Order: sequence, then structure tokens, then C-alpha cells
Amino acid sequence: MKLTTKQLTLCGILTTLALALSVAENQIPLSLAIPIPGIKLGLANIVTVFALYVLGPGQAMLILLARCLLGAVFAGNMNALLFSLLGGVTAMIVMILLSRSRRLSVYGVSIGGAAAHNCGQIAAAVLTLGNTAPLYYLPVLLGVALFTGALTGTVAACLFRALAHTDLMKG
Amino acid sequence: MKRITAVLMAVLMITGLTACGEADPDKARESIQVIAMDTPMVFTAYGEKSTHAVYMAEDEARRLDALLSRTDENSVIYQLNHADGLGITVGEEVCGLIEAAEAYSQATGGAFDISIAPVVSAWGFTTDRYRVPDEAELAELLTHVGSEHITTAEDAAALDPGTQIDLGGIAKGYASDRVVAIFRENNVPRGKAELGGNILVMGDKPDGTPWRVGVQDPAKPDEEAYAAILTLEDAFIVTSGSYQRYFEENGKRYHHIIDPATGHPADSGLTSVTVVADSAEGNGTMCDALSTALFVMGEERALDFWRSGTYDFELVLVTEDGRVVVTDGLKDILTEVEESGYTYEIVS
Amino acid sequence: MRSSPELRPNFWDALVALAVVLLAAGCGFAVWGGQNGAAALTAVVSVDGVETERLVLADTGETERTVESNGYTLCLRLTETEVWVEEADCPTQDCVHTGHISRSGQSIVCLPARVIITLEGGQPVDNGVDIVVG
Repeated sequence: MKLTTKQLTLCGILTTLALALSVAENQIPLSLAIPIPGIKLGLANIVTVFALYVLGPGQAMLILLARCLLGAVFAGNMNALLFSLLGGVTAMIVMILLSRSRRLSVYGVSIGGAAAHNCGQIAAAVLTLGNTAPLYYLPVLLGVALFTGALTGTVAACLFRALAHTDLMKG
Repeated sequence: MKRITAVLMAVLMITGLTACGEADPDKARESIQVIAMDTPMVFTAYGEKSTHAVYMAEDEARRLDALLSRTDENSVIYQLNHADGLGITVGEEVCGLIEAAEAYSQATGGAFDISIAPVVSAWGFTTDRYRVPDEAELAELLTHVGSEHITTAEDAAALDPGTQIDLGGIAKGYASDRVVAIFRENNVPRGKAELGGNILVMGDKPDGTPWRVGVQDPAKPDEEAYAAILTLEDAFIVTSGSYQRYFEENGKRYHHIIDPATGHPADSGLTSVTVVADSAEGNGTMCDALSTALFVMGEERALDFWRSGTYDFELVLVTEDGRVVVTDGLKDILTEVEESGYTYEIVS
Repeated sequence: MRSSPELRPNFWDALVALAVVLLAAGCGFAVWGGQNGAAALTAVVSVDGVETERLVLADTGETERTVESNGYTLCLRLTETEVWVEEADCPTQDCVHTGHISRSGQSIVCLPARVIITLEGGQPVDNGVDIVVG
């Protein structure tokens, strides 16, 4: 994959932004309201959605991988890498597929991605724990994904609207 | 079209939310097992905050373990026991517990006494190095036993030199009181807690029937054999029995419930005493203290004490001569166990 | 811009949301619906208050497990119906003396090693009790 200087810069900025959002959302104790381990708003997904449309699947995937890897390094927790990778990559694949359908808006893509993200994380939990207990959380997590997906979709839509007339969108 | 779509999505999301919200609270069940206060404990809670509740219960048990342990050098009780007669600040919680213990001691005519600790140690029950102490040694140790050797004031306490206390006789009961408070704070609709021989049942079972609590048959301590079965909701149940800890020397059996009056294992004709009370906070401590005291007092004095109405509780006494004596408050919720071979008596 | 994204939610998005709801409901039914009472007899091993292993007896068949904790080693044996501690180097040996457990609610405790093995699930026992006091 050959990147232009502009694309490379954008990738770097978006990776940073995704990391910052990950850190920021860790400050929001969502698990207090819904007592499920690993429950998150998934704000970093906004970046993924944005990158997917603006830079295309390849670079969006690069940003995702960099985000997961760096996030795990910064957190000093390599165990979390499997979780974020499996969740992130599953979400990515689903969003790439959904975004191919021109009929879907960013909302549908985001919701699909959020649901896929949770499925991926539960899969990681089942793999690491070696038992199926985490499946118990899946129905609730999927329900929550509707909201977090709609939320990230809304933010992404606002973002696209705000940037509609800038150079950025004409890549 | 857009409006319709927006409304449709909103409806879908709300369905999604209520679908989670309406999940049967009984499906949210958490059960953990821990070892604290030298005994296995099991905490089981239902409800949305069940996980939070049981882990808070575990933390509380560990906190009390560290606070009240007689052997942990960092515990307040250890420091008080080794203060050489000086008064030290023990905090209001420990002070309150000592005062509660004193009250049970007074009420039971000294049958329950936290200052019996050095005598229990002399028999080796704290260290597992069992021995039969001679009379002179016991007589000397008994001079330091009694409420008069303990002084408390607000958040401070002092022991006369030579006196040592052990809150082990009420610590687990107190812990069960704390567990009931934690469960209530977390809106736990039903659950149970086992802290060694201290049981708490809260609410009824998920199927709507009361909890079935088996009273261990003292004659068959290692088997699944019950002297009686009680069906209970919202109750504390505590058993003290001579079968729980004992050793044998020269063909004679010595158990761990020491009579503060003699310094010897209580020889009261009972093999176990089970105290039952409703789950009001404070009753866990009461049941714990009274089960020990009433074992020491024996059948007659125990029943007199029950009849006196000093405290609100019910009793199941198992005697050496094969009888199960039950106070009449339990008569409708007690199931006799035919194969146990006991004869049952309801007293009022 | 590779593709211009739709920025307003439409009918197709609602379909995605519906699919997620159906998936959640389906999973919910699969996970929560089928386990009423008939859960298989499971041995739960916990060390120092932390659950370390959950073994469905019918699935694991005859196996051995070594549990190391607090400086002691317990040798655990499991069959399709029973669990027992075969051997342990703890001073009290209570866990070994407890013998075989085979019914829901029974447990083996090793205080020195801070290990608890409990059986959960399985068929409720006739005239069984929920808790034993004493």
C-alpha cells in the first residue's frame, strides 16, 4: 500500500485521536451503570467509521491495528490486546461489508460495527477463559451496542457534515 | 419516510433497552466462596447488583478478619491483648462489639465470655496442639476470666493484666449482620450466606419456596445427616456443637466449647444448640453469642432463658440421650428426619 | 472521498438495528432460556476466593487435576459423577478425609491451602436441603 504524505499524516492524526478517545472513554465509568466487565462507549469507533469513508478500508485497518497495538503497549496490558484486536477487526470487517451497501447510512454502519465489536470481544473472552460463561453477557451487550452504535454514528454524521466542504473530504 | 424511519429506530432501541431491563432478576445470580476468619464462607446473592453485593461481602469479611483476629499481630484485638493492662484506642466498632459481648455475658450469667480466650488456648484449640491442662493451671487462668476485667469507654478499651479476649464467638455473627446490611444496600431480593456455622437466608428461593436448612446431626458429623430440617425465610441460623472441634486423650473426648465457670469443656448433656432469629441487623451477632452460651447452660437453663423472653429467638437442642427439643415458634416449619432415630419434643 | 456516506438514518439502518435486536433476543434465548434447573453437575474450584476452574463433570469424564495454592498441592480426581481429593500435602488432611462428593451443594474445603471445591447444578435432590448449619 502506497501512501501519500497527506494520507500518512491523516493516518497518524487519526491514530492519535483514536488513542485519545480510548483513554477518554476509560474515564467514563459506564460499567457502574451497567455492571458488565468490558462495557464501553466505543468512541474510538468514530475514528474507524470516519477513516473507512475518507481513507478507505486498507488505511482504516492500518489505523485500527496501530491503535490496538499502541493502546495495549501504553496500558502495559498485552492481555487486552487480544480483546481489542478481535473486537476491532470483527467490527472493521462488518463495517467494510455494510459500507459497501450504498443504501446504509453511517448510523447503520456504526450500529453493525458496534454489535460486531461486542461479538468479537466475547469471542476473545471465551477463548482466553476457556469456558462459555461470557456468552451470558452477549445479549445485553448487543442491546447496548444499539445505543453506542447510534451514538458513534451520530458523532460521525456530525463530523462529515462539518467537514463536508473542506479539502479533507476531497482526498 | 425519514420521520417514520426515525420513529421506527427509536422504538427498536427502546425495545432493545427494555429487553435488557426486563431480564429476570433471578437469572442474575452470583455466588462466591472465600476463606476468611479461619473458616470457609459462601456468599450467594440474586438481583441486578448481586455481583457487587457478594464481592462487597467478601471485602467486609476480610476487613473484619484483619480487625478482629486474635493471632494477627496487626489486629486491634492482638494489640489490646498485648497492651499489658494499658488502655488503647480500638475504635467505636470494636468497642461496640466488646460491649455487645459484655451484654450477652451479663444476660447469660457468664455462660458466654470473650475473656475465656486464654483457657481455650491452654486446651490447645487455637493452635491445634491439643492438651489437657492441669487444675492448678486452669485455676490460675480462670482468675483472669470475667467481665470485671474488661473496661470500655467510647472508642477505647483496656484489659486487666493477664486477661485476653477473643471475639471469635461473635465475629462471624457480626460479619453476617454486616452481610445482611450489604445485601440490603444492594437491593438483593434473595440470597444466602454461610460463614462457617453461621447461616443467613434472605427472602425466599427463586422458585418461591422457603430455604431448607438442614441442622447437622451431631452424631454423624461427617455425613449428610440431619437432626431436623427447618424451612425459613429471612433468618439467621447458628449452630454450636461439641462435634465441631474436639480431641481425644486417654479415651476421653474433649470439645472446644469451654464453660467459663469450670474452665473445662461444657458438660451439659447437649450435643448441639441451634439458635434461629429473624434477619434484623444485630440478630446475627445475638445468635452467634447465644448458641455458645446456651450450649454451656444446658437444656433446662437454656429453655428457661428462652422462656424469659430477654431476646427474641427460637431453639433446636439436640441432647446426648437422643432427643431433639424444639421451641414452639418453630413447630410449623420443622421437618422431622425419621431415619435420624431422634425423638422430637416441642416445648413452650 | 472514496464514497459519500449517507448522513441521515434511513429504512435500511433500521433493518440493521432490527437485525441486532433479533440477534440479541436469539442469543438471550439460547443463553438464558435453556438452563432452567437442568444445568449439568459442575465442579467449581476456587483458590483463595478466586474461581479458577469450572468443570462440567459429564463433559470432562475421568480426569485428574493438580491444584497448587499457598504452598500446598492437592491432587483432585473427577469422574462423571464424583469428585474427591486423592492426595494432598496439607497438614490437616481434612480435604482428603472429606471423601467423595457427588451432589449439588456439597463441597470439599482445604483451609491450609485455601482451596474450595463445590458441586453446582445437577438435579435437585429429593428431600434435599439448601444449606447445612453446624
